[in-house]
Amino acid sequence: MRGSRPSAEQELDLVVATEGGDEAACRELVELFLPAIGGLARRFDAGGRVLRAELMQEGIAALLFAARRYDPRLKTPFWGYASFWVRKAMQELVAEMTRPVALSDHAVRGLARVRAARRDHLQAEGAEPTKAQLAAATGFTRARLDTLLAVERRPRSFDEPLGAEEGTTATFGEMVADPGAEKAYDQVLDRMEVQAVRDLADRLDERERAVLSGHYGLGRPRQTLHEIGSDLGLTAERIRQIEKAALEKLREAAAQPPDAAGDPI
Amino acid sequence: MSSDALLRHNAFIYDSDDAYVARSVAFLREGLEAGEGCVVGNTRDGIAMMREALGPDADRVSFLDVSFTYTRPAKTLAAYYGAFLEHLRRAPSVRAVADVQVGPTPADWDEWAEYEAITNLTYSHLPVWVLCTYAANGLPDAVLEAVWQTHPEVFTDGWQPSDQFVDPRELVRQLNPEPEPLPELRSFSGGEDLEVFRERLARELVAEQVPGAKALDMLVAGTEVAANAVRHGAGIEEVRVGRADGRFVCEVIDRGTGFDDPVAGYLAPREGTGTGLWVARQLSWRVESFRSPRGFTVRMWL
Repeated sequence: MRGSRPSAEQELDLVVATEGGDEAACRELVELFLPAIGGLARRFDAGGRVLRAELMQEGIAALLFAARRYDPRLKTPFWGYASFWVRKAMQELVAEMTRPVALSDHAVRGLARVRAARRDHLQAEGAEPTKAQLAAATGFTRARLDTLLAVERRPRSFDEPLGAEEGTTATFGEMVADPGAEKAYDQVLDRMEVQAVRDLADRLDERERAVLSGHYGLGRPRQTLHEIGSDLGLTAERIRQIEKAALEKLREAAAQPPDAAGDPI
Repeated sequence: MSSDALLRHNAFIYDSDDAYVARSVAFLREGLEAGEGCVVGNTRDGIAMMREALGPDADRVSFLDVSFTYTRPAKTLAAYYGAFLEHLRRAPSVRAVADVQVGPTPADWDEWAEYEAITNLTYSHLPVWVLCTYAANGLPDAVLEAVWQTHPEVFTDGWQPSDQFVDPRELVRQLNPEPEPLPELRSFSGGEDLEVFRERLARELVAEQVPGAKALDMLVAGTEVAANAVRHGAGIEEVRVGRADGRFVCEVIDRGTGFDDPVAGYLAPREGTGTGLWVARQLSWRVESFRSPRGFTVRMWL
């Protein structure tokens, strides 16, 4: 779809797929509306380029929030709906950034521990830590960690080199403009916390996933219980039992309230 | 509030950040002093303000980022339900300050007015005091009116009982026009065998190229609705599937008389109520129920 404006129907498909957790659609949707977000950011860009970088991040996050909430029955074009949330997010950011914050010595020391834990994790794993991992590494409670992270949040210049720790010399702005920089772009989207959709399939073990995918032909050719059993060295009846238990597990997971642990930062 | 008291659902309309913080912090501190659990739902900016105002007490409060929670009413209700249950494991009761995210269109206002009405019923069995907060600045008249229709008490200059409060089920009925028929859907016969139903539904999901994880959601949600049709609806008459408004849609039409509860599936799981429709709502974009010439229909939008 790059290079040409999608039809209203294609745009709706992108929004629906983004809401459903499709990362490629999410990336495409962000790319499609990046110029429009940039246009809004310029209106709030009173404080210089650093603030503009974070305005863009807030704008992308708000766009994705709008995609999760947008209902085509509202009879409003998507951008007509989403731009309201983008503008609101930017207004709030400006309010937040201009509010004075005084840090206690205790908070400064805590912040240093969080930064060190994040740096260590990045070096060891090559990826941003989750809040749960940071909490484990620092020994802070989630509440304390959230407080410190709220203070730690800082804008990043579009021309600032990302540095060796992220394995590239590209600038942040280049990555946003070029979705080919897959890993870095994913990090941007991760920072926007787009992975908020509960994926029930994550609750299943490998065998359960194989049984359900095979029996119902999800992402692979459909198989009978006998065929799946032959592949796994089990009887068809055992496969039926595994499937029943897996479906019950999914049902239980859906009935439970969402678990906030492990959200990306 | 005492632990034997059940839900209180009130609103607070504020005209400045300072007023929001002052009242919310006082409300929560009162709860903390009484050993109650406390929850704050707000934007990241709002959360930062509350953390700063609460100081060390912030460590005893749960914070929900509304950019995750205020997406679909069923998911918002589940998010707060989860936070309440977490506190109720160790506290006799819970207080929550929930800043409601008002969207830009009248249809959006209606949807979230419906959410507010349903809130009166979703947690009605829990010792929870929810204070919904609304920024008065620029609040559309229709939203303001809905605040008084959906909260038994509202704080403006002081606590006032609402004389405009509407029975929640009645309001939900008013806000939901009868769903329009979707002639573009194709049908297959239902039968009574849930495994056969799932296999057929799966084939349709694959034909419509629904990604695997979403297809699983629909298989689980559809199974719940189909099981209800078999158990309570005298059997499945017909199943209709296809795409509408860019989404995969599945209708299960049963042979029974159906139910008339417009909030079915919105009540948080509790003793004595089934969880089938709650599960279906958690896994679907929207669930509708209505009677048509075909029979009583539950329609799920993925």
